[in-house]
Amino acid sequence: MTLDRVRRRWTWLASALMLALLALIPFDWFLSQYTGLMIFIGIYTMVTVGLCLLMGYTGQVSLGQAAFFGIGAYFSAILSKTYGINPWLAMAIGAFATGSFAYLIAFPIFRLRGNYLAMATLGLGIIIFILFRQLGQYTGGPEGMAGIPFLSMGGLTFDTPFKRYFLVWAFCLATLLIAQNIVGSRTGRALRAIHGSESAAESLGINISLYKVKIFVLSAVFASLAGSLFVHHLRYVSPQPFDFLASVLIVVMAVTGGLASIWGAIFGTATIRILGDELLPRLENLATLKAWHIDYLNIIIYGLLLILMMIFMPQGLFVSLRDAFHRWRLKFSPKGANP
Amino acid sequence: MSEETILEAKRLGRSFGGIVALENLDLTLAEGKISAIIGPNGAGKTTLFNLIAGVYMPSSGEIHFEGKPLGNAPPHKRAALGIARTFQNVLLFDNLTVLENVMAGQHPRSRYGFFEAALRLPKAHREEETISLKARRYLNLVGLGMYADHNPLSLPLGQQKLLTIARALATEPKLLLLDEPGAGLNALEKEGLSELIRRIRDMGITVILVEHDMDLVMGIAEWVVVLDSGQKIAEGTASQIQRDKRVIAAYLGEEEAIE
Repeated sequence: MTLDRVRRRWTWLASALMLALLALIPFDWFLSQYTGLMIFIGIYTMVTVGLCLLMGYTGQVSLGQAAFFGIGAYFSAILSKTYGINPWLAMAIGAFATGSFAYLIAFPIFRLRGNYLAMATLGLGIIIFILFRQLGQYTGGPEGMAGIPFLSMGGLTFDTPFKRYFLVWAFCLATLLIAQNIVGSRTGRALRAIHGSESAAESLGINISLYKVKIFVLSAVFASLAGSLFVHHLRYVSPQPFDFLASVLIVVMAVTGGLASIWGAIFGTATIRILGDELLPRLENLATLKAWHIDYLNIIIYGLLLILMMIFMPQGLFVSLRDAFHRWRLKFSPKGANP
Repeated sequence: MSEETILEAKRLGRSFGGIVALENLDLTLAEGKISAIIGPNGAGKTTLFNLIAGVYMPSSGEIHFEGKPLGNAPPHKRAALGIARTFQNVLLFDNLTVLENVMAGQHPRSRYGFFEAALRLPKAHREEETISLKARRYLNLVGLGMYADHNPLSLPLGQQKLLTIARALATEPKLLLLDEPGAGLNALEKEGLSELIRRIRDMGITVILVEHDMDLVMGIAEWVVVLDSGQKIAEGTASQIQRDKRVIAAYLGEEEAIE
């Protein structure tokens, strides 16, 4: 019991520190050079946490999350630019459309389990990606479309990275809170029970196919909202960020942070984005590597990371680091008496 | 018969491919009693359980629960109607704590959903308190209260089996199906189990168990049904069954004769 209370105090402290850090990052006197990177981390965290709910808690694999991310992105882009609809409304329509689409395909798709489910979602992702490229008259084809308007709210237009940083992280933290609330609830227990044993779950009155569908829809809606924020940030959309590799990358992010860990999603996403956006491109200057070398190196490194995480930190970075911290703390606690 | 019938099977049959697992079974079980289904391996006991729980649908015949046909209702609907079960192979949720396993059992007796959960509305909070209170009560009933925060798989098998009973009880059933609750338990644990099953019966819950341990069955069952090769060959009180010639014959060569 005391251990629990001590841990809770540390959790509060760590959360407060994290929040303060997050709030200060985009200021010029602090770490404003990383504002852009952090915006992407916030956006991708929303997609990752949806996958954590689906894969880590409910045990249902999806290798097609980038498709929902992309549908949200294109809905926002096309409705707000081509048809001049209010970007917020476009975002809501996109989320609703993505959710409805996920709902419709969920019933046939969740007749499958395990590897077959993974293959079906993978196929789905590829089909949607091809549609983005081929429906050129709406999507702009492989070249994409530019000139997407900014989001604005009353007199406030989110026209600088500084402003968008706070917008994105407000969305991201809201998503994480919702996910955390669900995990600890009756619904969350039902989802985790399905992961534990489907036979036992249904013997306890849990409608397993309905719950799978619902969590799939929620993960799609999270991804769709992230997609909308993505295009209003970049003001440009093309199919490339929604390809098969993007779906795989989302899985790597979820695994790295910890599949069954909501707050781990930030850490997993941050690790991969920092690796891919900051560290690897620097190799270009260090060694005689060319940009396309680094693209291949990326894939190898992500694959390696996935394997190493599964072997050495199956619970992910977040849980492993937290436990390591508590072990370290106990070793140096004055009495060493905490059990 | 003065007592109420809780479960009635009429000409119930189930075959898998060409293999008949259960054939033309007529069965009437009284409410509020402990009944046991016994029989040699392959007699159709587990098939019968799965038919009652809704895991399989009958190939022929039907099952009535509290006078109403169960039809093709899936397992989760039957749990809501008041049919709970445990499994031979335990099937605890290792990604939930001991307490959460039992709380998961409260699912059909609580209502709040995704929306209330996501926004932590007062309704969710209220129900959650009731759920955890009741779950603790069932956990204490089986004597596992002090392990609430443990991982279920860290418990020894005997306690894991008790936990599955607590989890099933948390669905607040009228009928509890126990699939080999005694398997893998030592003599002392079996004694505790018998005591627990009687206490469950005294709570007004009808208990049906499939069990291989004859001492356990004969000690607690008020009604015994004997299956062999998918058919009912006898039923009666424990002492009637022990004297039944057909039962003894069915068991000879399979296991030692019943004493």
